[in-house]
Amino acid sequence: MAVTSAQAAAMAPRVVSVWNPANAVTASRYLTLPFLWWAVDRGYHQWATLFIVICALCDKLDGLFAKIFDCRSTFGELFDAITDGICYGFGLILVAAYGWAPVIPVVFVIAMGALNTILRGVYIRRAGRALNYKSYAMERIVGYTGYLIGFATGGMAVTFFYWAFVPVMLVIVVHDAKRMLVDAVPAAPARLDRASPAGANH
Amino acid sequence: MNLVSDGTFRFLLSVTTGGVGGLWTIHDLVFLARLRGADRRDPLVADQRFGYVMGVVIGMIGVIGTLRFNGVL
Repeated sequence: MAVTSAQAAAMAPRVVSVWNPANAVTASRYLTLPFLWWAVDRGYHQWATLFIVICALCDKLDGLFAKIFDCRSTFGELFDAITDGICYGFGLILVAAYGWAPVIPVVFVIAMGALNTILRGVYIRRAGRALNYKSYAMERIVGYTGYLIGFATGGMAVTFFYWAFVPVMLVIVVHDAKRMLVDAVPAAPARLDRASPAGANH
Repeated sequence: MNLVSDGTFRFLLSVTTGGVGGLWTIHDLVFLARLRGADRRDPLVADQRFGYVMGVVIGMIGVIGTLRFNGVL
């Protein structure tokens, strides 16, 4: 059966420019960091909290923009993850350096984050293809990580929240490490024309 | 240099932490309950179940921390 050029264009993978609204929102998160540093340096707790809240809200907005403008891409996901790591890592180091948060849990959080990144790299090598490792538990602990900076800037039960984070993060990293290093890697998605056996229900 | 009064700031922190923590606990408990009949050997189901349990734990930490912050616990 001949395929028309219009059909071929429809079947081709959609190319999304890196210069899109969702990535612009992600990039704008970096603009909050100098202001966060300024507020922490001056001892302005409320302003520091405001800037980390703006940074966290932009993290939620970029996903929304990607849906609205239909510009989701692998680069966007990677850029978002890297931006999460840099912004939250910077925020945690900052609050620990200024004595607003206990140093030991902060070092632990950053070390576990780095370990998780390495494990994801090993997982991709095991799979032999670009593969986004999805973990429901890790999504939740990333949200908690964003809050950690806010607890420090707001002076809210800082010792409790930082030390409560440590065992939860440890359990999740160990659980995900087993999945990434030991459990079977999911098979690559089959092409549409071979996706399901004849007679399968849809 | 403050944006709002200390009392308002404390209230906002409590709502955004305790409120979100409480809602998140309920959200993940509901999703966990929906998985009761699912196949435990399915890796996706197992990951969801673990994720929701951790979500409940994190939500509870948020609620407990907020209560401690306000001198209730």
